[in-house]
Amino acid sequence: MKCEHIAELLPDYLEGRLSADQHHNVEAHLEQCADCSEEVVIWRKLSLLPVDQPGPESRARFEAMFEAYQAGRSNPPADDSHQGKRASTWNWNVFHWLRSPLGAMAWSVTLVAIGVFAGLRVAGPKPPSPDLAAMQSELTSMKQLVVLSMLQQQSASARLEGVTWSTREQQLDPQVLSALLHTLRYDQSVDVRLAALDALSRHSRQPQVHKGVLDSLQQEQSPLVQVALIDLMLEWRDRDAAHRLQELEQTPNLNPTVRQRVEWAKSKLN
Amino acid sequence: MTLAPDEDLMLQVRDGAGETLGVLFDRYQAPLFNFYAKLTGNRTLSEDLVQEVFLRILKYRQSYRPGTPFRAWIYQIARNARFDHFRKSPREMTFEPEMLPPVIPTDSAEEQQELELLQRALQQLPEEKREILVLCRFQELKYEEIAALLGCELNTVKTRIHRALEELRKNFHQLAKGTVLKKAQAAGNIPPRGGRHEV
Repeated sequence: MKCEHIAELLPDYLEGRLSADQHHNVEAHLEQCADCSEEVVIWRKLSLLPVDQPGPESRARFEAMFEAYQAGRSNPPADDSHQGKRASTWNWNVFHWLRSPLGAMAWSVTLVAIGVFAGLRVAGPKPPSPDLAAMQSELTSMKQLVVLSMLQQQSASARLEGVTWSTREQQLDPQVLSALLHTLRYDQSVDVRLAALDALSRHSRQPQVHKGVLDSLQQEQSPLVQVALIDLMLEWRDRDAAHRLQELEQTPNLNPTVRQRVEWAKSKLN
Repeated sequence: MTLAPDEDLMLQVRDGAGETLGVLFDRYQAPLFNFYAKLTGNRTLSEDLVQEVFLRILKYRQSYRPGTPFRAWIYQIARNARFDHFRKSPREMTFEPEMLPPVIPTDSAEEQQELELLQRALQQLPEEKREILVLCRFQELKYEEIAALLGCELNTVKTRIHRALEELRKNFHQLAKGTVLKKAQAAGNIPPRGGRHEV
């Protein structure tokens, strides 16, 4: 048997798909032909090459992309065609945004943060050096800058990302807090407002946040956000809770579910 | 407990249960990443492309038809995503071998060196040949699946595999020869070409 004949059979031989006869013929040829037998060896060695594994942040990135996509979808476009067109390219924008200079900066900051964090873990419980402390504070202010600029984005999903970013910091700059409060009050997307509420709820000890969040209940129109605010009011044991609930209850056309929640909250207060 | 087939999960995603996509992501992110990394040698780009694949699945989920093997479908999307990317930025087409992970040390140093050479030989293959070897050897796609993916006959796939393997062997040989020469030079047996012998 010649090499050309083997060439036809080799791929099946490698997968063990040949009949006993053909298999035997190929083996007989391989014993005599160095080139063909080397191909078989190389084929087997290929499986020993290392498998490339994605980085640990890949899953988180997927989740962010997924949430951003869903958030983009939950904002149906208005009637005018320009808006419609924008919404249809929206999801692409999310992805491209991640690659834009701002997105790249955001990712770089995350990576630096991961690096600093890993470095700190490796360094153990030793007190951080002044250099490291300076670097950390610089990093924090950079992150906050990123959050601030993300909250200004056109697309809801980008703003949502910005809010999610802010939750990664223990301490937030007053400027970021007020930007979040502004988002909670005025953002058009319910998802973004809910995320902002969630982010702010971690900073309830700051009087500015406490008051700002609960004051937003007055003008909030979405039942989802209203219910979340009522729950938060109970959780925080707000002194004015009874008064605020009373006010809300008098709102004309209040959603029945929200009304029920108000009743329930009042019963909890008493 | 048996795992739900990919196709069932994809139908759930198509019918609105978007969260189920997370399960498919967990199943496919590593193989897809490996596919891209072996083809491009660039980790960052490979991670971007994996995300792009899942974004496309979300966007085009309505186009998934019951009965379509999910694996074939996702690799189709993965190939398209790669083509589209390189169409937009063809300069990145070149392989970036420095991004590859080092070969894991094996028992013998010789074996390890062989694997490193093999990795380099694979990188030197033209894109098309590298792809077919990656698909059947690393992604473990069956020849029939590859034929459907590339839109060609089963026999064509086999011929292409053989040609790729042939070229891989030649590359490997070339590299191995170079290494032996270098080693000999290092040992002082053969003076470097045009170089002076320093004592």
